[in-house]
Amino acid sequence: MINFLLLILIYTGLYALLALGQNIITGFTGLLSLCAAGFFAIGSYTTAILTVNYGWSFWFTIPLAGVLAALAGALIGLPTLRLKGDYLAIATLGFGEIIRNVILNWDSLTRGPMGINGIPMPTIFGMVINPYRKWGYLTLVWIFVIVFYFLLKRLTRSRMGRALEAIKEDEIAAYSMGINTTKYKVWAFMVGAFVAGCAGSLQAGFTLSVTPNTYTFMVSVMVLCMVVLGGMGNHLAVILGALIIQLAAEFPRLLGLSSTVPPQFKQIVFGLILVIMMIYRPQGIVGRKKVNYDKFVGNETRRVAKKSEVN
Amino acid sequence: MKKFLAILLIMTVATGALFAAGQSEEATEVKIGFIGPMTGDYANYGELMSQAVRLAAEQRNAAGGVAGMQIEVVVEDSEGVVEKGQAAIEKLASVDKVNGIVGAVFSGVSIAVAPRANAEQIVMISPSSTHADLTGIGNYIFRTTPSDALQADVAAAYFADVMGIKKLAVLYVKNDYSQGLYEEVSNIFEAKGGEVVAAETALQGDKDFKTQLTKIKAAAPEAIYIPNYVAEMAQILEQAASLGIKAKFLSADGFSNPEIYDLAGEYTNGVIYTGPVEADVAAGSTSFATDYSAKWGVEPDSFSKNSFDGANIIFDAVEKVYNEMGKIDAAAVRDVVAATTDYEGVSGSVSFASNGDLIAVQGIFEVQNQKPVQIGVYSVDGTDLVEIK
Amino acid sequence: MGSISEVFQHLLNGLTLGGIYALIALGYTMVYGILKFINFAHGEILMVGAYVGMFAFDFLRGDMPYGPLMLVVFFIAMIIAMIISAVLGMAIEKIAYKPLRKATRLAPLLSAIGVSFILSNLAAYIWGTKSRKFDYPFDNTAYNIGGVAITPHQILILVVSMILMIGLKLYIDKTRMGKAMRATSLDQDVAALMGIDVNKVISLTFAIGSGLAATAGILVALDFKVYPTMGAMAGLKAFVAAVVGGIGNITGAMVGGILLGLLETFGVAVLGIPQGLKDTIAFGILIIILLVKPEGLLGKAEREKV
Repeated sequence: MINFLLLILIYTGLYALLALGQNIITGFTGLLSLCAAGFFAIGSYTTAILTVNYGWSFWFTIPLAGVLAALAGALIGLPTLRLKGDYLAIATLGFGEIIRNVILNWDSLTRGPMGINGIPMPTIFGMVINPYRKWGYLTLVWIFVIVFYFLLKRLTRSRMGRALEAIKEDEIAAYSMGINTTKYKVWAFMVGAFVAGCAGSLQAGFTLSVTPNTYTFMVSVMVLCMVVLGGMGNHLAVILGALIIQLAAEFPRLLGLSSTVPPQFKQIVFGLILVIMMIYRPQGIVGRKKVNYDKFVGNETRRVAKKSEVN
Repeated sequence: MKKFLAILLIMTVATGALFAAGQSEEATEVKIGFIGPMTGDYANYGELMSQAVRLAAEQRNAAGGVAGMQIEVVVEDSEGVVEKGQAAIEKLASVDKVNGIVGAVFSGVSIAVAPRANAEQIVMISPSSTHADLTGIGNYIFRTTPSDALQADVAAAYFADVMGIKKLAVLYVKNDYSQGLYEEVSNIFEAKGGEVVAAETALQGDKDFKTQLTKIKAAAPEAIYIPNYVAEMAQILEQAASLGIKAKFLSADGFSNPEIYDLAGEYTNGVIYTGPVEADVAAGSTSFATDYSAKWGVEPDSFSKNSFDGANIIFDAVEKVYNEMGKIDAAAVRDVVAATTDYEGVSGSVSFASNGDLIAVQGIFEVQNQKPVQIGVYSVDGTDLVEIK
Repeated sequence: MGSISEVFQHLLNGLTLGGIYALIALGYTMVYGILKFINFAHGEILMVGAYVGMFAFDFLRGDMPYGPLMLVVFFIAMIIAMIISAVLGMAIEKIAYKPLRKATRLAPLLSAIGVSFILSNLAAYIWGTKSRKFDYPFDNTAYNIGGVAITPHQILILVVSMILMIGLKLYIDKTRMGKAMRATSLDQDVAALMGIDVNKVISLTFAIGSGLAATAGILVALDFKVYPTMGAMAGLKAFVAAVVGGIGNITGAMVGGILLGLLETFGVAVLGIPQGLKDTIAFGILIIILLVKPEGLLGKAEREKV
């Protein structure tokens, strides 16, 4: 039993990292990105290829995985300077699919659909962190979650964080206040991608094998759901979102129902949760209260403000 | 915020309590797990195979169970992805404490799951993962499907030596099964002096192969090898016919799913494929097919037969060990499974090599009047084809 | 690239693929034009339409031989599928999207993803996961015209999609209701002030879009079979087509769909790119087009107001 719970918590940690990264892009900067799976894949494959083919130590591949993902993030971030809202969502979705498609077809480097097996178990001070024994890996993953949580919290409270939020609230206004929106938007993508890349690296160290099937569009959608369901722009909330979605995805197994209820049941329940949540609590479980400007300004202004809101 | 956290806390505690309640079960029954995609794009494969495992358990239970103990089947959904497969194995190992597993379905998932099954000393028999690396992972890992290498050896040798094909085209899908067979077959085929004149790819989920087929047609091969799953092959055959392609079609065990005859009808005629050896060799096969369709309303494919045999091999081993030792000893069960030789199953005669691979002879089938006819049984020695009968 | 007939073969294959993309893209574009959100459940409506069409057709035709009567039965089945899908589309809008009209833009997007989960898994539960054959209402033996193989099914796709697209274009451009739709898409609040029943317009939009999806579903299913997840990738590709053409623009969806179909076919055939990379082509072109012309080929640039 305990092993199964630990596994869920490890994956919750990995998804929490993805959600933290997505939160910077979507929650703080208001850029709708559907590319988390792509950054995740780059991180995983970086670690897989370097440890298996080039004998690198797992630990050195983590920062590199982050950096490579961040570079991809910059590449994806640049076009976004011209794209808004749903167009941006589609462009990033396209990038995510391209990354997976390239991995699938670059057989000489990635072994294509056959995947890469035999990633060595990470060791620290001569001790092996055996992913199969869970506790060690659980600690490792959650150390990363906590470190990134505090780093990102600091970041979003800094000048940069305020700039990102200004862009989210009103990009033109932010621009006219002298904020370099171009720079900050690309930065947001890079930071978000960096975190996701590290998560990918950790995931490869955990599963010890990678296949392209893992990094589908559904992963991006799930991560986005975690951020929205938890509460956009709130670091703790998106971690909670990751936990809730993990529990929702595993609940038939958790309750010992997986053999008695039809397998489609959990997906249907998940769909219902999404719809009902959006109807009754679109701001997420821990959504932030915004200052109610209605008290200060007339209705007309509010209408215009609503229309230009891009989330 | 507080309210929600409170609810969450209660949920977690309640779940934990439920577990605790479920934990105290005594092992007076035999549990077998199945891991496969039950939802998502590949749900059909998991559904067919899990039904075979359920049928095996049901029949065994009706006949008095395993050493008097009833069998419970626990089906876990992998959704065809590693992450869910891992969750499945952890749950089967630590919550259900299963005595054996049939699965996983896809190689990628099997390779991620196998080390855990091995460490937990649970016999795992995959009915469909063909990746060459799988059985090397541990002592507890077996498969009732031939590895890519084995099937490809027979196929390539048959194409080159018996059929005398010189120019082969391949249309494969970018998944591990299809690409694994393509790589092996083309290597051996070329080593035998044949030429692969076109190797076209498609993506999992593609339904339109006209572009690739048009290119293949231009390369004028004598035969086209399509190692794919049934839905894709039905499309390929139909579209090839509409493009006026006359070349012979060759395929692999994916073709043994009878669904192909519903989907592709007359276009299946003349196709030659490798697959598990036919029913008259395998004693129970005919009645298995009848029982299966009576129970589930669909016909079994060869992977279902492999699953059925896998489940029964585990049941037999558990029974033998229990009768001898009075308890179900995991290591002993593994040894009995490993010693399986000439087990007469519905998928043919099953024997395991020392690494856990199926020692298989391959049947060669030709479709005549929309029915498969076995035209030969072969194995290979090195790269030379050896006819068994 | 071989002979001239091979070029025509690829052209024909690309056009039929594109015709289907275009039909699906229309539904996306109409909804987007009016509600400004991506209806992720559109592909699943297509799937339901295909199932309904298949059941209706199988039920109605019995063991009828090929002939004109069979075609009539086929079109009746298609109309039944369109009606049921239209009702389903309107119901989904009422339940899952209407309460979110004033919410942030992400809310209806996620709600739509939820609906698509529910529909595809319900379908798998009710109808099973296996692929089912949708029989052709005619003998689908290919005609050979100068080395180019053309099937009656390809002709059907081209004819039906042409008729529906032109019909829709006329409806939106020439009728009162079409005008109301255009007005609503420009500005909902002002349209309401002008006496347009916005709710009715939105319902109608969903009905038409879903009806078109059902038709596309049936046309796809004839070739590609019917199964619960059939909507997913078709939906994604069609959405790309809609965006490339300029989302919200009816003509754009047609152009985008056909362009995408041709590019996928020719990108592979002419440039010798492996077919496995064709998604890279599709999405790569999408990104390039968006970069050069962010509002899509035929989209109108929206000036952002401060």
